[in-house]
Amino acid sequence: MAAAGTLAGPRGDGGEQATRRRAGHRSVALVTVSCLVAALLAVPLAFLLIEASGAGISQVAHLIFRPLTWSLLWNTVRLAVAVTAACAVIGTSAAWCVERTDLPGRRAWAVLVVVPLAIPDFVVSFGWHSLWTWAHGFFGAVIVMTLAVYPLVYLPVAASLRMADPGQEEVARSLGSGRVKVFVRITLGQAKGALLGGCLLVTLVLLAEYGAFEILGYQTFTTEIFTEFNGYSFAASCALSLVLVLLSLLVLAGEGVINRNSGRVSRAGPLAQRVHPPQQLGWTRWPVLVLLSLLVLLALGLPVASTLYWMADGLPPALSGGANVSLPDAAGHTALYGTGAGALATVLAFPVALLAVRHRGRMRHLLERSTYLVLAMPGVVVAFALSYFTEKYLAGFGYGTALLLVACYAIMFFPLALVGVKASLARAPVSLDEVARSLGQRRLAVLFRVTVRLAGPGLVAAFCLVFLSAVTELTATLLLIPTGTQTLATQFWAYQSNLSYSQAAPFALVMIVVAAVPSYLLGRFFQRPGQARG
Amino acid sequence: MRQVAVTGLHKAFGTHPVLTGVDLEVPAGSLTAILGPSGSGKTTLLRLLAGFERADAGTIGIGDVLVDGPDVYVAPERRRIGYVPQEGSLFPHLTVEANVGFGLAARDRRGGKAASMLEAVGLGGLGKRYPHQLSGGQQQRVALARALAIEPAVVLLDEPFASLDAHLRASVRADVQEIFRRAGTTAVLVTHDQDEALSTADRVAALRDGKIAQYATPEDLYSRPADPGLARFIGEANLLGGVVRGDSVKTLLGTLRLDPAAAGLGSAGQVTVLIRPEQIDIMPNGPGLSARVISYRYHGHDAVLDVQPGTEAGAHQLVVRVTGGSPRPAGSEVSLRVRGPVFAWPAD
Repeated sequence: MAAAGTLAGPRGDGGEQATRRRAGHRSVALVTVSCLVAALLAVPLAFLLIEASGAGISQVAHLIFRPLTWSLLWNTVRLAVAVTAACAVIGTSAAWCVERTDLPGRRAWAVLVVVPLAIPDFVVSFGWHSLWTWAHGFFGAVIVMTLAVYPLVYLPVAASLRMADPGQEEVARSLGSGRVKVFVRITLGQAKGALLGGCLLVTLVLLAEYGAFEILGYQTFTTEIFTEFNGYSFAASCALSLVLVLLSLLVLAGEGVINRNSGRVSRAGPLAQRVHPPQQLGWTRWPVLVLLSLLVLLALGLPVASTLYWMADGLPPALSGGANVSLPDAAGHTALYGTGAGALATVLAFPVALLAVRHRGRMRHLLERSTYLVLAMPGVVVAFALSYFTEKYLAGFGYGTALLLVACYAIMFFPLALVGVKASLARAPVSLDEVARSLGQRRLAVLFRVTVRLAGPGLVAAFCLVFLSAVTELTATLLLIPTGTQTLATQFWAYQSNLSYSQAAPFALVMIVVAAVPSYLLGRFFQRPGQARG
Repeated sequence: MRQVAVTGLHKAFGTHPVLTGVDLEVPAGSLTAILGPSGSGKTTLLRLLAGFERADAGTIGIGDVLVDGPDVYVAPERRRIGYVPQEGSLFPHLTVEANVGFGLAARDRRGGKAASMLEAVGLGGLGKRYPHQLSGGQQQRVALARALAIEPAVVLLDEPFASLDAHLRASVRADVQEIFRRAGTTAVLVTHDQDEALSTADRVAALRDGKIAQYATPEDLYSRPADPGLARFIGEANLLGGVVRGDSVKTLLGTLRLDPAAAGLGSAGQVTVLIRPEQIDIMPNGPGLSARVISYRYHGHDAVLDVQPGTEAGAHQLVVRVTGGSPRPAGSEVSLRVRGPVFAWPAD
C-alpha cells in the first residue's frame, strides 16, 4: 500500500483540462507591450540586414573581403584580448584586496577604485594624449582603455565576493587546502560568473569605442564605420557594421557557452548574514597599498590633473567666451537629452522586466533574451542605422531632431535600464501583489500602490544609469546631434579635434563632475542590498 | 450552511496533473485544515480558491456566489477573501496600520478600523511601526489583521505558522484559533504539519494524489482513517492482519474489541487492523504477548520503542509509545497488551 506521501499522481488524467483559459491570460497585454519594445529594439539590426540583402550578397562580400577588413579585424581582436585580460587581472585583484582583506581604508578604496568608470573613455584618452604624444597606437590604446574600463570587472567581481558563502572556503580549508589553493579553486570559482560577465562588458565596450581610438590614432571597426559614414559610403558602413555586430554576437554567445559550462555560481541565500573574516595581509599590505595608489593615480588622478592643467593653461580664453557655444548651453542640452533617454529607456524596460521577473516560460525568456541583442549593437551602428532608416523610409522625417537622438540613446542603453528595473522589481515580490488583490484592489491600483512604490528607488537608479551613460556618450551623439545644438561631449570633441585643449578642458571637467557624483551615489545604492536590511 | 463549495476541481501545470477532482464543502464559521505532503497540490488548491490561478475544470463557490466554473471567473479582488501567505508578505513600505488598512476604502482608512483590528490581534499601539521592526509572530498577526479587516467571506492561510519558531508556533496558533472563534470566521488553512492540522482545525481534509482522501474531524481522521495508507500518513501506525469474529478481531496481540464504526465489517473475515503506538501498554512481564525491545528513543514527554514480538520469527516490528515508566534498554524482554477498541478495514 502506497503511503499518502508518495506523489505518484495519475498521468494524463487531465479530462477537460486546457479547455479554459489559464489565469495567465491577463498578462497578454504585458506580452504584447513587451513584443512591441523588442520590435523597436530590433529596428537597427533588422534595417541593417534588409539593407545588406538589398545590396546583394556579392556586393556585400566584396566590401567585406578586402585587406582593410582583415587589418581592422586584427586591430580590434588583439586590442580586445589584451585589454580584457589586463582588466580581468586588475579588476579581480583589486576586488579581492578591497573585499576580502584587512587593507587599511577599505571603504575609501572601494569608492576610489570605481570612480574612474565615470570618466568618459575619450576624456581619459585626451588626458594622456594631450600630455604625452607617445601615448598612441596599440600601446596607448591598451593603457588608456584598461584604465578606463577595469571597473567593469571590479564591480561584479566585488559584488560576488561580497555575497559568496564563506562556508565553502572554510570547508575547503578544513579539508586541507592551503590559502592559495582555496583562492584558485573556491574563491575564483565563486566569482567566475561575475568575472566572465565583467569581461564580456569590457569586450563589448572596446568593440563600440570610437572617441578614445580616434584621439589615439588607432583604427578599429568602429572608427572606420564612422569615417565611411561621414564620407557617405553607406554600403561600406553597412557591410562593416554587419561584421562588427557579428563579432559582438560571437562574444555574447561565447560568454553564454562558457558560463553554462562553468556550472552554477554558488550564492548564499538572500539572508546571508555571515560575512567573511578578512584575510590578514601582514607586511604585504604595503606593496598592495602602493599598487592600488598607482592604479587610482593613473586612472583617476591623471585625467583629472590633465584636464585641470589645460584649464589653467588657457584660463583667459575659456572665460572670455571666445567659444561659439557656452558651457551652460551645452550642459543644458546634455541634461535634456540625458533625461529624455533615461525616462524613455526606463519606461521601455519596465514591461519587459516585469515579464522577466514575474512570469516563467520559454517564450518570455526568449523575449527577454532578445532584448539583450542590443548589447551587440555598438552605438555607431545604432546611430547609423537609425539615421539611414529615417532618410530611407521616413523621407528624412525625424532626422536631426532631439527625438531621434533620445530614441537612439534609449535603444543603446536599454540593457542597462533593464538590469536596473529587474533588480528593483525583485524588491516587489509577486506575493505582495496577490495579497493586495485579495484585499480588493484592482490590477492597476496594485501596480501603483505596491509595485511601483517598492520598485521606486530602483527605477530612479535605472534612470540614473541611462542618464549617466547618455551624458558621456560621444559616438552616436556626434552622428545624430540636432542641427545647431551642442552637448558637452560634442563641443569637447570639436575643440579637442582642433587641438584647442584649453577650451576643451572645461567641458571635460563638467562631464567628469556630472558623471562622478551620481556614480558614487549609484554605487552606494547597488551595494545596499548586500547588507542585511530589517 | 456551507461557505465554500468545491466540486470536481482539476488543475494541471503543463502535462503534470496536480489536482484531479477535488470535492470539498467547508461549513460556515469553521476552521478547515488541508493536510498534505509538500507537492501534494494543497497550495495550488488554496490559490485556486483565492483566484490567483484558474481551474482547468470543476467549480468553486464562495458564499452564494460561483467564483470559478465554466464561463465564470471572478477576479481575486472581487472574491472577498482574506489571504494570509506563508511569510506574511506585509507591504514593507507601509506602516503596520497602513498595512491593515490597505484593503479598506479611503474613508474607512481614517477611522479607527485598522487600530481596532490591531487591538483584536493583540498588537494595539504598534500601528506606527514598520513591518521590519516587528518579530515574526507579530508580523503574522498583522497579516491576519489585514486579512480580517476587509470582513472576508473566508480567510485562506498558506502554512501561516511554518516560518515561526517552534515555541512561538503553539501560542500564535492558539491565538489565531481564538480570534477566528470570536469573529465566527470561516477559514481554510493549508499545512503539511499533521500536528498543526489536528490541533487547530475543526475539520481536516487529507489531500492525496490530487484528491481529498478524507474530510473529517481530527478525531475521526486519526482513529478511523479511510484506508491503511492514510493511517500511516496521519501519525504512526501499526497495521496487523486479523480475523473478525462478531464485534471483536483476533490478532497477534490477542483478541481485541472492534471500534463500533468498524463493526460494519460483519463477517468480512480477513481484515487489516490499525493499532496506534499509544494504544499498546508495555509491562516488564505478565499476561500478553511477549516481545523484545529493539530500540528505545526517549523524548522527555514520552518514549518510543520498536519491539519485536518474540513468538513468530517473521512477524513485523511494532511501534509503541509510552509515557513515563522506567527505561527499557534494547534487548530487554517485555510483554504487550492493547488498550481500548481498534479500527480495521477489509484486507485487500
